[in-house]
Amino acid sequence: MSAGKITLDTLPSISGRRRNVDRAMRGLMWAAITIALIPLVLVVYYLIHKGVGQWKGSFFTTDPNGNFFGNHGGIRSALLGSLELIGIASAIAIPVGIGVALYLTEYGKDSAFANAVRYFVDVMTGVPSIVFGLFIYITLVISNVGGSSFAGWKGAVAVTLLMLPIVIRSAEVVLLLVPNSLREAALALGAPRWRVITRVVLPTSLSGLVTGSLLAIARGMGETAPLLFTVSYTMNLTGNPNTLMNSLPVQIYNDIHSPEAAVQARAWGAALTLVALVLILNLIARAFSRRSRMT
Amino acid sequence: MIPEDTQTKEQTEMAATGGVPDQTQQDAPESAAHVERKTGHSVEVQGLKAFYGDSEAVHGIDITFAANEVTAIIGPSGCGKSTMVRCINRMHEEIPGAHAEGSIKLDELDVYAPGVDVTAVRRLIGMVFQKPNPFPTMSISDNVAAGLRLTGTKGENLRERVHRALRAVGLWNEVKNRLNEPGLGLSGGQQQRLCIARTIAVEPEVILMVEPCSALDPVATLKIEVLIDELKSRYTIVIVTHNMQQAARVANTTAFMLNGDLVEHGPTNEIFTKPKDERTERYVTGKFG
Repeated sequence: MSAGKITLDTLPSISGRRRNVDRAMRGLMWAAITIALIPLVLVVYYLIHKGVGQWKGSFFTTDPNGNFFGNHGGIRSALLGSLELIGIASAIAIPVGIGVALYLTEYGKDSAFANAVRYFVDVMTGVPSIVFGLFIYITLVISNVGGSSFAGWKGAVAVTLLMLPIVIRSAEVVLLLVPNSLREAALALGAPRWRVITRVVLPTSLSGLVTGSLLAIARGMGETAPLLFTVSYTMNLTGNPNTLMNSLPVQIYNDIHSPEAAVQARAWGAALTLVALVLILNLIARAFSRRSRMT
Repeated sequence: MIPEDTQTKEQTEMAATGGVPDQTQQDAPESAAHVERKTGHSVEVQGLKAFYGDSEAVHGIDITFAANEVTAIIGPSGCGKSTMVRCINRMHEEIPGAHAEGSIKLDELDVYAPGVDVTAVRRLIGMVFQKPNPFPTMSISDNVAAGLRLTGTKGENLRERVHRALRAVGLWNEVKNRLNEPGLGLSGGQQQRLCIARTIAVEPEVILMVEPCSALDPVATLKIEVLIDELKSRYTIVIVTHNMQQAARVANTTAFMLNGDLVEHGPTNEIFTKPKDERTERYVTGKFG
């Protein structure tokens, strides 16, 4: 090389091969995105296309009635039943789950027992939901615990088992984000550990805990398999969790099997309702996690 | 034993001129400079060994921190000075796998005696950390009150005690109009003074400071140093510092640690001008460390 000035001409130009590889790789990535998006867009399209027409008149205010002719009724019992089931499941899974996470981060830390708990929680995360349903079917349903065979609360317990590992894992991650310096500051002031947890650790991680819990609720709400043979199905509205109850996923499951077109159409409306509920929960969760990032 | 040395006089002058004159004049009755002297309590460390798992970080130290004095601990990184200080209020054992042996006596009380409640020890021996660590979910006044609430102190005169602590650290005039705003909204130096206010609000007898100024600029550092000088009229203070000028400015006595051992402890001006140990001399003159 001579000692001349560096100009554009002194740089080696980009080779044709590099240009082609670049173009090919970009093309492949676009193809991957398209393949991933097509089913997603189609699902949303069909849901809205077929479901939104059902959202009218008495759809949310009447129960399915099983008539062969005329009005088939709406989804009131399914909607309220789903909310009651998820309410019971959340009332158990969220406090217990956060309690377990608190044990792991504040007390157990790296002890052998805590690591064993973590391992089992991980395994539970991977267990298919129908297995939880089967487990509840064997332990609670066929032995008629509580004087009932199929019952709402048994389905709620199955959903609880499904939600627990999600709550535990997400809560543990959030609790670990609380800087240790805050725990030390509180301990050095002479605070007992439980007050450090209730006054410093929990308030600091609150929004993250809410986010994780809402995502677990969203996940639990859409599950069908654990409800099918724990709660079974009824068209009637009931608030009593010790009897058969209706729920959105099971209603959809049953309606789809109907020969009646109008009943099948109701399944679309119910499916759209379910997706809308999950979407709302996700949006609230995102709002909370954004708030936590700002503080 | 107590050297009425030049450092202290300089310090007092700094407080009067360059320090925080506004507060001193406006809030004269409550200002720390006018807080009545209170006889403090000494801390006597005997044969202290500190461990992280199996590795011994402090190899049996004997040192006495005199009441109403500022003792500085200097030494290179990793020499065990912070570990030693964290043993005094039993914060060392909060680190998983860490433990300490030996005895640390606050007057007659051995804080390591069996049956001693660590939370009670920590209320007597407060601690200020390297990085300002106000509680992010709490307002300025809640941060100061946090120590009282966290220890379950019942609410009589809570507000007054908060205000008194803020005045004592010279923060009152800066924050009195925004007591309900988040503590994290303050500058680094103000946050550190807030943390000191939080510590003294629970009225400890001893204050441990672990490099309290290493995250602060020189102006904020000066304010903290002035404050330390004022606080010793009430408290016994132990300060770990990497900054030897700081030790020279604030401390009555200085201890030099190296590799987990106490090399030398004496009046600050002696440590810096005519140390007995050659290693101390090499350290304070910057030849190693």
